[in-house]
Amino acid sequence: MATTAEQPTTRPIAAARRRLADRDGVLSWAFVVPSVVYIVALVGLPFGLAIAFAFSDVSAGDPSYDFVGLRNFRRVVDDPVFWRSVGNTFVFTLISMALIVLLGKVLANILVADFRGKWVVRFLVLLPWTTPVALSSISWLWLLDSIYSPIDWVLRQFGALGPVENMYWLGQPGLSMTSVIAVHVWRLTPLAAVIMMAGLMSIPKEIDEAARVDGAGYWRRMFEITIPLVLPVAAIAALFGAIFTFTDMAVVRVLTRGGPNDSTQVLASWAFYRGIDGGDVAQGAVIALFLFPLLLAAAVLILRAVRKIEVR
Amino acid sequence: MTNGFGTRRSRREVLRTAAIAALGAAVAGACAAEEEAPGPGTRSGQAPRETFQQPRSKLSGELTILLWSHFIPSHDVWFDKFARAWGNRVGVKVSVDHIDLAQIPTRIAAEMQARQGHDLIQYIATLSQFEPSVLDQRDVVEEANSRWGEQLALCRKSSYNPATDKFYAYSPGWVPDPGNYRRSLWRSAGMADGPRTWDDLLTGAAEIKRSQQIPLGLGMSQEIDSNMVLRALMWSYGASEQDENEQVVINSPETVAAVEYMTRLYKQAMTPEIFSWNAASNNQGLVAGKLSYIVNSISAWRTAQESNPAVADDTFFVPALRGPKDALAAQHVLYNWIIPQHAKGVDAAKEFLLHYTANFASASFQSKLYDLPAWSKLTPELPNWLASDPFGAQPADKLKLLNEAIPWSTNIGHPGPASTAIGEVFSTFVIPNMFAKAARGDATPEQAVAEADRQIKAIFDKWRAAGLVGG
Repeated sequence: MATTAEQPTTRPIAAARRRLADRDGVLSWAFVVPSVVYIVALVGLPFGLAIAFAFSDVSAGDPSYDFVGLRNFRRVVDDPVFWRSVGNTFVFTLISMALIVLLGKVLANILVADFRGKWVVRFLVLLPWTTPVALSSISWLWLLDSIYSPIDWVLRQFGALGPVENMYWLGQPGLSMTSVIAVHVWRLTPLAAVIMMAGLMSIPKEIDEAARVDGAGYWRRMFEITIPLVLPVAAIAALFGAIFTFTDMAVVRVLTRGGPNDSTQVLASWAFYRGIDGGDVAQGAVIALFLFPLLLAAAVLILRAVRKIEVR
Repeated sequence: MTNGFGTRRSRREVLRTAAIAALGAAVAGACAAEEEAPGPGTRSGQAPRETFQQPRSKLSGELTILLWSHFIPSHDVWFDKFARAWGNRVGVKVSVDHIDLAQIPTRIAAEMQARQGHDLIQYIATLSQFEPSVLDQRDVVEEANSRWGEQLALCRKSSYNPATDKFYAYSPGWVPDPGNYRRSLWRSAGMADGPRTWDDLLTGAAEIKRSQQIPLGLGMSQEIDSNMVLRALMWSYGASEQDENEQVVINSPETVAAVEYMTRLYKQAMTPEIFSWNAASNNQGLVAGKLSYIVNSISAWRTAQESNPAVADDTFFVPALRGPKDALAAQHVLYNWIIPQHAKGVDAAKEFLLHYTANFASASFQSKLYDLPAWSKLTPELPNWLASDPFGAQPADKLKLLNEAIPWSTNIGHPGPASTAIGEVFSTFVIPNMFAKAARGDATPEQAVAEADRQIKAIFDKWRAAGLVGG
């Protein structure tokens, strides 16, 4: 009896579920909503808040909101350190990206090669990316220390430095920017390498073999087959890297705190110094907002390039 | 695999040896760490007896405290027990969080924006930039004055804003900032008793660097010690950021002269390392025996007592160096305790501050004479401790000069108060950047001073418009 009594009620429910599951519109919304909520909550709201703060007098010590128009924008653009930070952000990003893409490609070639212990090598290569940036930067802080730098010690052993000489890696503007870029490249190259490795592995082996049969050498195959086919993936790696680099302040914060004399200040670190350390949250918001058009332009340019390559 | 002695070892043996070595290193490290922090009074001296006075009202609930990780670790061990013991006695659940001093302003900013967090927060420099979001502690200061006499002027000026007539912070203690010098090095330069003037410093430090390749260490970096010592130089030259009436006066011939002096000092006696320093760098340099002179509290020397006794015994102290106009040093640390407006345990916070102040003799002793009181009546034994160090100074009277530290010490913002604007100038490192620009040759002293003037005026204008700066 129980079975017969159940059948009429369960059938319509199952049928209703099937109908619901068959409706593309409902399903697509169900899949999209979590992402939309996530983006609105963690990207949209902070972004809106930053815009609101940029036109206010909100400070670290006084969160009350008063509208002040464009006053913060005028103050920010009148500040020479802001323009130095803009310049440094481009230098930091462009040099880092060039090195990351180049070294990532070299590393990816090594990683796809078949040799004993390749899993250990892959693990070691990924370590810089998986190590928390604060931890790894502190290790670098020691490596670049003005008194105890092991790098200086090695240079001393090879006679490149005198017995009491030091490089002062973080004490001179050129060297400190070089150090910041080097640590950032060290940190991001594994990510680029893994992305490019995926690209390399997706190239059908037949194409490479056919080129070999036709007598193409290593460099010809590299420039006429491998690189063109990996280029869309490399562009994605570059896009990720550029966005990470544009918005990164961790390496600067830990290694140089923007010094010496603001010479390694980038937009993200300057926004933090003005907004949080300096207590002027409104000015910090203005500086951070300048990142948005730059990032948008970078994203659009790279995605267009990827599309063009794909169409071709 | 072949080892250093020519015998072959299996991979398993190598891994086992490495594991044993790592374990041994970890155990040795732990033992070393334990040895590094002996409790106060273990060598000599009697810790003062703690006092207790019933709170003025019945207390309950919780009290959350945020403060720095003290440079003298034994202080934190004592403080945590002390705070909890008080809480148990008065019926308040006390919890204490210590974080790195550089993170405290960031943490305060986050808590202010979230309008929730700790009830009581301590920092080692003025927190005037948070004035709009903290409670006025006039009642605590007045109660303390009625119990123990008049508060030390430099502590008052570092916690009171005359423009708003508000005690944005409570300042029960401070730390002087003497010169720390290596006697053996300075003896060879003909100054066994260390430099007494800024001119002595230039002459002696240049000679030591030339003859012994050991530089001088005064920071020009974006960190707190650079902020202190460079202001000391400015005051000694008769320069300052503001006057008594909170008007910006940094663009003066005196400031230019101070910047010119520092440029000479850098070129003749220092290395570029000072542009990259953090707050611990000069300590590390002194302890490592790599610096001839620094301006710091006694913490670097206390560290050396444990880790490099030879350097500690060779380190001596001098008061603020005399310049053309004055001989002044900034306080090295100026304790600011704030109660945010979001605090829930306000009564408990105020009562705890009074209890802590009443026991400041313990704070001084447990910090190995690092912390000095804003009410001298509270530490009657302090002159004797400084004259005969209970913690093993060689010679024992090495710290005696700190008994006379008040006349040559002053507050950030001198000759005016540590206002909100001064707080922002301090926390954005305008002064170290001004000196660094000229010393590095990125700008002439006049240009560097003019740029600092522009930045400081913008900051003052902003806070003056908000009614937080006088004049």
